[in-house]
Amino acid sequence: MEIRKFVLKRLIEIFIIFFVILTVLFLLFRLAPGDPVTRMVDPTMTPEDAAHLIAQLGLDQPIWLQYVYYLKNFFTGNFGISFHYGVAVFSIIMNRLQNTILLFSTSILLSAFAGIFLGKIASWHKGEKTDTWMTIGALICHTLFLPWLALIMIWMFGFSIGWFPLNGMISPEIWLDPSSGFWLKFLDIAHHMVLPLATLFLIHFGSYLLLMRSSMLDTLKEDYILTARAKGLEEKVIRNKHAAPNAALPVVTSVGISLAFSLSGGALTETVFSWPGIGRELVFAVSNSDYPLAQASFLLIATVVLVSNLVVDVLYAYLDPRIKF
Amino acid sequence: MAENRSTQILNDNRRSPKKFPIVDRFLEGWSVYRENLIGKIGLTLLVIFALMALSSFFTPMIDPMYHPMTGVDPNISYSTGPSWHHWLGTDFIGRDILSQLLAGARIAFMVGISAAFMSILFGTVIGMIAGYSGKIVDTLLMRLADMVMVMPTLLVVLILSSLFGQLNIWTIVLLIALFRWPGVSRVIRAQTLSLKERPFIDAAKVAGASHFRIIFRHIMPNVLPLSLLYMTFRVTSAIIIEAALAFLGFGDPSAVSWGMMLQWVWKTGNMFQAPYWLLPPGICISLITLSFYMIGRALEEVLDPRLRKEVAQE
Amino acid sequence: MTVNNLSVGYHTRKGFIKSVQGVSFALDQGKSLGLVGESGCGKTTIGMAIMGLLPDNASVTNGKILFEDQDLLKMSKREIRQVRWSKIAMIFQAAMNALNPVHRVSDQISEAILAHDTDISEEEATKQVQSLFQLVGIPMDRLKDYPHHYSGGMKQRAIIAMALACHPSLIIADEPTTALDVIVQDQILNAIKDFQDKLKISVIFISHDIAVVADVCDNIGIMFSGQLVEYGRVEEVFNLPMHPYTKSLVASYLTLDKDNVQLSPYFGETPNLIKPTAGCSFCQRCSVADATCRLMAPEWIEISPTHKVLCFQCK
Repeated sequence: MEIRKFVLKRLIEIFIIFFVILTVLFLLFRLAPGDPVTRMVDPTMTPEDAAHLIAQLGLDQPIWLQYVYYLKNFFTGNFGISFHYGVAVFSIIMNRLQNTILLFSTSILLSAFAGIFLGKIASWHKGEKTDTWMTIGALICHTLFLPWLALIMIWMFGFSIGWFPLNGMISPEIWLDPSSGFWLKFLDIAHHMVLPLATLFLIHFGSYLLLMRSSMLDTLKEDYILTARAKGLEEKVIRNKHAAPNAALPVVTSVGISLAFSLSGGALTETVFSWPGIGRELVFAVSNSDYPLAQASFLLIATVVLVSNLVVDVLYAYLDPRIKF
Repeated sequence: MAENRSTQILNDNRRSPKKFPIVDRFLEGWSVYRENLIGKIGLTLLVIFALMALSSFFTPMIDPMYHPMTGVDPNISYSTGPSWHHWLGTDFIGRDILSQLLAGARIAFMVGISAAFMSILFGTVIGMIAGYSGKIVDTLLMRLADMVMVMPTLLVVLILSSLFGQLNIWTIVLLIALFRWPGVSRVIRAQTLSLKERPFIDAAKVAGASHFRIIFRHIMPNVLPLSLLYMTFRVTSAIIIEAALAFLGFGDPSAVSWGMMLQWVWKTGNMFQAPYWLLPPGICISLITLSFYMIGRALEEVLDPRLRKEVAQE
Repeated sequence: MTVNNLSVGYHTRKGFIKSVQGVSFALDQGKSLGLVGESGCGKTTIGMAIMGLLPDNASVTNGKILFEDQDLLKMSKREIRQVRWSKIAMIFQAAMNALNPVHRVSDQISEAILAHDTDISEEEATKQVQSLFQLVGIPMDRLKDYPHHYSGGMKQRAIIAMALACHPSLIIADEPTTALDVIVQDQILNAIKDFQDKLKISVIFISHDIAVVADVCDNIGIMFSGQLVEYGRVEEVFNLPMHPYTKSLVASYLTLDKDNVQLSPYFGETPNLIKPTAGCSFCQRCSVADATCRLMAPEWIEISPTHKVLCFQCK
């Protein structure tokens, strides 16, 4: 019951934030230099279609009425027509969203788990070579410039060795061929996903490792660890069962905090690897002055950030019994 | 016996009057910093980059062909590898890569420090006001901070650049600063809240000082060291954001930054053939990030005595 | 259990701190011993040494700890782990943090049971936990709770229940009542006396509060600066304190039914444990010290067959 109240409260907060973002975007698009009409209506459209769209979006009405139209369109999923693709924006961004979620969630889960696991091991061997090398490795990976790392990955593993495709999410040949089964398509995507996943993983696992390591070292000084030792439990059991669950909590929090940063990184990765996700779509849309698409992509990304924050909060509350609502 | 001791201290003080307690604190901090290996490495790297940035002013003077933007080698019109004239080779239209790298250092410092400084400025002022005012103002400001913090800065700047066209480097700096202040403001606010309860603030109030004066004359000096610490972290994020923007093609076309260099090598399809062009800018960005991180960690030890690895007190 | 001439020290940057110097005592089954002294006198270190829980920078420079005919100090890690909790259990200071916040209390206790008794099933272990809870007086509906749901006194009782879980023959209680208020303190002390009587468990009770120890223990050892300075039955030491330090301890314990409220505060600094002086370590604070005391290490003087004191002046 308590969790439901908490989730509800957070949902309301998210709604409010979202509303503010919507309004700010609305104002920006109307107030920025240039004619707002050209922003929402493709100049290459026929006059009748343009007039129809203008009426639909309410661009010929006073500004407060436009705002109402804007909100109504938003909640009915009408984001306009993309200049570049010529189809409804909504269908484009929904398609891209699933690709982003696939890549993004896999990379976060992998790097969080790896970071926690390796950080735990690093703290066990504190001061020894294993620890020193792990810490240095984590630090170096953490400070690499993401697009550059992505380029290097493509160069080394895609171009020079030829193990992985240079870009994209799918090989058209496989997907166009009607005889390709599910597993073939699945493996194809996985094959394409390896390099972008590896890039994201390398950039992010370092910070989780370092955090887990210092968290473990702090936890091991706690009184309940002494109690566990006095009970005659083995060191391994103490570390894994008693220390690690407590030490992992701050890492979960940090995943939530760094979500915004991860999404920016995600957009960069998608662009370099031509992974058809929402981040890349945003970059493309901005480059092509495809305003409807750009606006909608941004809003969708904002939604993803807010919802992910909520998910992480709930997860943390679930993991730490001390949280009271 | 006790009397002699106190007169001794008094005499010492008279002999060397401590006019600038700030200088003393700085020197004490410096001696702690010097002990820290990580801090020293970080500082060394930073000095190297600073030298690079400075020398970028002089390279075009040696020969106009070394100008990062416009300096084209008359004999070369495509990307070549390292040679005597061009220690790191040339880019796709024959410009010297090393000069570009040095200019990039200059841009990095400029962007990094200005953006960090501005975001710290915003963050500190907002944090102090929020902490000091309390109640409604505090809640409003912190809600605002929450909202801004949740947004991925890079993407926000992207969408803004779609509306306002090509961005100027200073606009980019301002935008970065506008979205990076929440982190600092939280910490400053917490610090202000604890300082607010201290007796010396009450004393100032009794003496009739206005709120403004209290904030800037009394609270700010105590809050500054923390601000400076956060500035080191902000510099790296500012540099990275600018580099990412330039990489995607949204940077200032007249500012040759490392991100811009990466964009050129990528977009002109030289990625696979020109490691001498691909590697240096990326290495520089990573190393400067590393150096600021190290300096930040060492500074943490200076500012928080609990972290110091001093002789254990038994 | 017999502790013979135990010396323990800690390696620090400032030097080797001689925390325990040549301490010896014997404890019979079913009897309780109180170790009293101020902070830093080494009493906790003795407890840790017995359990084998000394930190990495500590080393035992001398001595034997004989328990059930075996020297605990010579045991391997695996053997010590088996001895821990099943034969000797410990109740720590600051119960606040002694329980792991992410595990349920009953789970933590059954963990101890299951770790030492491989034949028992989980249900049986849970039943044992239930009877333990009854023993220490914690309501049954609190079994599945997490530690932060418990009050301070309840947590301490849970810790006692946990200590009793494997039916040890010795329990070391290190300042078990320090963080608690007086009423709860009383309850806890009664609980300890209770299980000591009923279950015939030996107790080593470590405290800085001589009043608490007097209440619970049969024998008492006074410690100062790493050494045992007086040892005897509780009645003897209390009614006839011999060592100047013991005298000041007993005197600063104010009773409601005595009129002589004469406080004897002490002077001087804490003794240096890195380079102990040649003579008696209590010299600086002693009101009856003379030249011999300062130059030579004091020897044991027997006041009665069960009462001895380490002092030249106490004849």
